[in-house]
Amino acid sequence: MKPNHPFSGQGKKVESHVSTSLQMNDGNHVSDPRAFVTGLGRGAAGALLFGVPMLMTMELWELGFYIERYRLLILLTANIPLLIFLADRVGFERTGTLAEACRDATIAYAIGIVMSTAILVLFGDIKPGMPISEIVGKVAIQAVPASIGALLGRSQLGESNDSQDRDEPDEDKEGNSNEEAVTDHLSTRYSQELFLMGVGALFLNLNVAPTEEIILISFKMTPWHALATILVSIAIMHAFVYAVAFQGSHEVPEGTPWWHAFFRFTLPGYVVAMAISLYVLWTFGRLDDVGPMQVLMSAIVLSFPGAIGAAAARLIL
Amino acid sequence: MTEISRRPHSEKPDPHWVEWATGIVSAVLVVAMLGWVGYEALTDKDGPPEFRIAITGIGPASGGHRVQFDIINLATRTAATVNVRGEILDGNGSVEDAEVVIDYVPAQSKSSGALIFREDPKGREVLVRAVGYSDP
Repeated sequence: MKPNHPFSGQGKKVESHVSTSLQMNDGNHVSDPRAFVTGLGRGAAGALLFGVPMLMTMELWELGFYIERYRLLILLTANIPLLIFLADRVGFERTGTLAEACRDATIAYAIGIVMSTAILVLFGDIKPGMPISEIVGKVAIQAVPASIGALLGRSQLGESNDSQDRDEPDEDKEGNSNEEAVTDHLSTRYSQELFLMGVGALFLNLNVAPTEEIILISFKMTPWHALATILVSIAIMHAFVYAVAFQGSHEVPEGTPWWHAFFRFTLPGYVVAMAISLYVLWTFGRLDDVGPMQVLMSAIVLSFPGAIGAAAARLIL
Repeated sequence: MTEISRRPHSEKPDPHWVEWATGIVSAVLVVAMLGWVGYEALTDKDGPPEFRIAITGIGPASGGHRVQFDIINLATRTAATVNVRGEILDGNGSVEDAEVVIDYVPAQSKSSGALIFREDPKGREVLVRAVGYSDP
């Protein structure tokens, strides 16, 4: 392309520029730091992409200063093993050891904190005169979804080569497990699957739970609406994964009745989504002094997005 | 290509018993929940909100005297924008009144708030009542 350039003088200029950038690309493969910086960039992009809906939610800013500190502490602590699990599963790069997963989780948390702070400052939601506990509370509560986003961003925004690289060892693992029929290994995969659903449910729940709409919807609903919502949530969850042939969809082996997967995955998945919903509602103080029926109603409402999140997590991750 | 070669994640011809146990426990939980909600649906009287207000404390506040109260909704329907009015009554009528709006008093649940008076309610009768609400 460049040698045919009509303006030879400019052509040279462009050529020299191209050659330097090529060298930089070579450096990309050889030197670790540049690849690492790219990973950080993807993490930051992921934190933005997944974090922005929450960074722009008024109720979540308010929660930053009125949430009870011990509930915030529990949420921030619970986020750590969750990030380590995610780092191990999708991560910035293929993590071989637990130490590497821990390192990536720490980096993701840091990206979440930095990006949340930056965006909240940009929006004028954090200003110099504010009390330090308010600033810390606002950033901390936003850092949780942003850090999950940072890890997901790495897996979803990464090059296709990366994901293929990731798939191959996975298949090897499964191949081994099939041959040896190691049942223990199988049950750990099962618990991982449930954990993954929990992460998906938590992520979507954090998106919508702080808003007043969740409790408002539960107030508008009659028990009949709630019954229908439970059934629809479960149906969507099942359909999402088994009927719709998305990429990554889970195929049921030939000759297995449909209710096998329904009992082993969809129903436990819904219970997980329900538990996460209750936890998130409690964290945000939506269950205080509320009657048991209303607690159940708002959990049913929140489990609707939770179920979608849980099903989507199985597809995507 | 990748999709075809890629194995499904966890479905196996003979699953571990733990998976079935989890499935059965989950099914029981979901059925129990459906049963509870179904029972509520069938026995739902759907009466209008009924409030019970209890004064929980009187104390000094900046610019006056604070009267804290709990408001309980006994009905199975939630009330929104509940107007609560408080009056300090003397022997010969109302001395002062104050009003507050509570966003939600959920069904069979409790909310709380406070009214601030300039007059000291000590030794006088304080009457706090809900004067109106809207349906959510």
